[in-house]
Amino acid sequence: MTDPISLNLKINGQSHALDVEPRVTLLDALREHLHLTGTKKGCDQGQCGACTVFVDGRRVLSCLTLAAQAEGAEITTIEGLAGADGALHPVQEAFLEHDAFQCGYCTPGQIMSAVACIKEGHAGSEAEIREYMSGNLCRCGAYNSIVAAVRQAAEAV
Amino acid sequence: MTLMEPRKHGSASDSAVGSRLSRLDGRLKITGGATYALEQPVENVAHAVLVPATIGAGRVVSIDTSAAEASPGVRLVITPQTEMGLLVSGDWGGNRPEIVPYHPLSLDVTYNGQAIAAVIAETIEQAAEAARLVKVEYEEGAVVVDLFDPKANNRKSLDQMAVKWGDAEAAFAGAAVQVEAEYRTPREYHVPIEPHGLIAEWSGDQLTVWEPSQWTHGMARMYSEWFDLPLENVRVISPFIGGGFGSKGAPYFYGAVAIFAAKVLQRPVKLAVTRSQGFTAYGGRASTQQTLKLGASEDGKLQAIIVDGANETSTYADFTEQTEAATPLMYAVENFRSSHTLVKTNTVTPGALRAPGKNPSAFGIESAMDELAYKLGMDPLELRLKNYADHDYQSGKPWSSRRLREALETGAERFGWSRRSHAPRSMKEGRTLIGWGIGCGTFPNLRNSAEALIRILPNGRVEVESGSIDMGQGTYTIVAQTAADALGVPVDLVDVKLGDSLWAGAPVAGGSMLASSITGAVHKAAVAAREELIALALTEEGSPFRETGANTLSIENGRITTSIGDGPALDFATFLRQVRRESLEVRRDTLPEGTKPADANKFWTTMANVQGPTATDFSVHSWGAHFVEVKVDEDFGTVRVSRIVSAFDCGLIYNPKLAESQWRGGIIMGIGQALLEEGLIDPRNGRVINNNLGDYLVPTNADVPHIEVISVGEPDLEASVLGGKGVGEVGIVGVAPAIANAVFHATGKRIRDLPLTLDKIL
Repeated sequence: MTDPISLNLKINGQSHALDVEPRVTLLDALREHLHLTGTKKGCDQGQCGACTVFVDGRRVLSCLTLAAQAEGAEITTIEGLAGADGALHPVQEAFLEHDAFQCGYCTPGQIMSAVACIKEGHAGSEAEIREYMSGNLCRCGAYNSIVAAVRQAAEAV
Repeated sequence: MTLMEPRKHGSASDSAVGSRLSRLDGRLKITGGATYALEQPVENVAHAVLVPATIGAGRVVSIDTSAAEASPGVRLVITPQTEMGLLVSGDWGGNRPEIVPYHPLSLDVTYNGQAIAAVIAETIEQAAEAARLVKVEYEEGAVVVDLFDPKANNRKSLDQMAVKWGDAEAAFAGAAVQVEAEYRTPREYHVPIEPHGLIAEWSGDQLTVWEPSQWTHGMARMYSEWFDLPLENVRVISPFIGGGFGSKGAPYFYGAVAIFAAKVLQRPVKLAVTRSQGFTAYGGRASTQQTLKLGASEDGKLQAIIVDGANETSTYADFTEQTEAATPLMYAVENFRSSHTLVKTNTVTPGALRAPGKNPSAFGIESAMDELAYKLGMDPLELRLKNYADHDYQSGKPWSSRRLREALETGAERFGWSRRSHAPRSMKEGRTLIGWGIGCGTFPNLRNSAEALIRILPNGRVEVESGSIDMGQGTYTIVAQTAADALGVPVDLVDVKLGDSLWAGAPVAGGSMLASSITGAVHKAAVAAREELIALALTEEGSPFRETGANTLSIENGRITTSIGDGPALDFATFLRQVRRESLEVRRDTLPEGTKPADANKFWTTMANVQGPTATDFSVHSWGAHFVEVKVDEDFGTVRVSRIVSAFDCGLIYNPKLAESQWRGGIIMGIGQALLEEGLIDPRNGRVINNNLGDYLVPTNADVPHIEVISVGEPDLEASVLGGKGVGEVGIVGVAPAIANAVFHATGKRIRDLPLTLDKIL
C-alpha cells in the first residue's frame, strides 16, 4: 500500500521523474516533492479552488487528483503560465493592474480558473464570470477586481 | 526656465504616497513565486499531524500509541504525558507569571477538537495515517455548548469595562419613544485561504520558525519564553501571509508541539494545521448577545442608550468580544450605561477577528437605530444626522477628525437614497422585494512606535528593512512609496524587505495600526538618510558639491543636485564611489524621547505601549457609512445583496488602489457575516459540525455585487505622521446591520440574530 511507485509527470512542458506512494495527491507531489509551490493548498478537500491546475487543458483540483492519475497528461501550473521570456499572460497582467488579489494565496488558483473560464467561453458578461469563477474562494474579497481583470483579459486574448 | 510644480498627493500619474501604484509584491504573487511559510525549501523535513479529541469535555483516561508508533515512517508520538519542559509565556501585554509550566497538550479536554497528541513521520501521508491509529479512551463530562445553554452558569461580570455617564435608566424610563431589543451574533471564523502551520528548525540553541505571522516580533518573544531562550535566539520568518484577519498574531499550542518535536528529532519539523482543524486549533469570533435600550424624544433626539452585552469564552481563558465598543461613539447622547459579561463554554478560546468588538457592537446599535427610525416614522439617514455626535461623548474630547457626516451625505447621494420609499415592502420588482438600508461603522486609531532601517547600497539601490509584515494590506508597496517620497528617488529604485523578527522593530499588523506606525518610522529614516547624503555631499572629500559653495542640496528623481539645478547631478551609486563609501545605513525609530535601548524591545514584542484613541487631547477614529440594496425572493426568502455604496473617513489614504481593495474585502466579509457565516455546534458534544469550507459558507464571487467605495477623509495629523487613519477593519463594521436593515425594509421582518438565513425570513 505504501510502497512507492515511480511516476513521470509532464509539468509545464518538462518531464519530472519521482518516486511517491500511490496515495500522494497531485497537489502534494507538486508542492512537497517537486517544490513547485505556486499551486496552493487551501483546504485539501476540493472546496476552495486554490489548487487549480490544468490537466490536458482542463481545470482540475489537484488536491482531489492522485499524482498517478496525471501520468501521461500535460500538466500546467501557475509557474508555466508566463512565457519563457517571463512575459506575463494577459490574465496575470490584468490581475496586477486591477489589484485582483491581496494576500495572494488564492491567486494562482484564481488565475488558472480565469484562463480556463475565458477559454471555455464563459467570460461573456460580468454575471457569467461571477458564476464560473465561484469555485475559487477569495477570503480577502478581491471579487470585484477579479471580475474586472477577467473581463479585460477576455478582450485581450 | 521651468518652474517645478509642488508635488501633489493623490495623483495617479506617479508613485508618490497617495497614488494608485500597483502592488510591488504583485508579480511574485501572480507567477507563483511568492513563497509562503510552509513552502520554504527546508531540507530533511519531518511532518507532524495533530490528533484531535472527539469529546466536548472530560478527561483522557488512556492513550495507546503503540499502533501509531509501529506504523511505517513514524518517528515520534507526542502525548500529554510527554514531558516537554516549557514555561508559560507572557500575554499580549507582556505580563508573565513567574516560572509556571506550560503544557501545550493536556489530559483535560475542554473543547471538542482540542489536540491531545501529535504524530511525526517521514511523510505527511504516513503521519496522517498514523494519527488515526492513536487510540484514546475518555471519561466524558457535561458540555456547555453555547451562550444559551442552561448549564452556562459560569459567568463573569467585567466591571472594569462598564461605561456610564448621565443617568441612563431614568432618561430611558422618561423617554417618549423607546426601543428595547436583543441582538445575537454566532461564532464566526477567520478561514484565511492559507491554513495555519509552521516549519521549525533548530541549530544548536538557535531556533528558526517559518510561520505566517501578523507579528514576527511578538511571536518570537512568546516562543522564546515558552522554550526559555534569549529573545535573540529565536527568528520568526514570514515574508508572505495568506490572509490572517486577526488569527495569525500569536503562536498557538501546535507551534510549541512542532518546535519541541524538531528539538527531539534534531531535524526540521513541518506541522500543517488542516482546514478542519483550523476551526478548533485557534479561536474565531466569539458568539455574542446584547440587549439594547434606546430612549428618544418624539422628534427623534436620543436621550439614553443602555447596552448590556455578553460573549462566550473558553473555560480556561478570558477573551472579551466587547459588544459595547462602538455603541458609545456613534451618536450624541447625554445618558449612557453599558455592562459586559463573559460566559464560559466548552470552546477553544475565541480570538480577534476583523474589528473585534466594534463589529458586533455596530450590529446592535445600527440595527436599533433603524428600529427607532421606524418607531418615529423618520428616515434612517435623517435620524443619524439628527443625532450626529459633534464630539466624543464618552471621553468628552473633540474628534481629531470625523467626516462621518460627509460619508453619510456622499454615500446617500451616490446611492440615490432620496428615491427610497420609507415603508417596508413598498419597493418591489415583480415577486422580488427590494430593500435599502444604512449602517455606520467606526474603528479606533491605535498607535505604536516602530523603527526602520534604510540602506543605500553600492549599486545605488535603496533597501528598506522592517520586521513588519504584508498579508495583503500592501505594506511592501506603501513602505516603498513612503521611502521613495521622502528620499527623492523613483519607487522602482526601492527594495523592501519585510517579515523577519531579526529586522527592525514593528508593532502587530492588527488593530489597523501597522500602516501608520511603519510609514512614520520609514518616513523618519528616509528623511534622515536624505539629510545624511546631503551632508556628505557638502563636506566629504571627493564630492563634487564640496566646492560649489552651496549651503544645501536637493535630491530629485534619485540624483543629488544643487538646489537650483545648475551644478552636477549624481546618482547614488556614482556619488558613493566618488566619496569612497561602500554604502550608507540609517536606522531610525519613533520611540518616545528618552526610551532606553533596553526597553525598546518591549514596544515591538508586546502591546504594552499601544496608544488608544484618546491617548492625546483628541479622540481619533476611522469612520464609515454603508448603503445597501437587497433583493429578497418573496417565495423562497433568499437574500441577494445587489448594490453597495460605502464611504469612509480614514484620513490620508497612502495608496487608494490598495485601500479600496481592503475596504471591499471588509465589506465582503460583512456580507458573509450577514447572510452566511455561522459556526454550527452539535448540541450533544460541542463539536463544530460545519468545520470546512463547503459547510461554513463564505462569500463566493457570485454572492458579491459591484461595491462602490469612496474616500471622504482628509489628512489627520493627530492620527499619524503622514495623516492616515486605520483602513483594514473599519470596512466590515456596520455592513451586517446595513444588510439586516435593508432586509427589514424589503420584507417588514426584523431579524436580530445573524446570519439572515431564509428560515428566519420566511
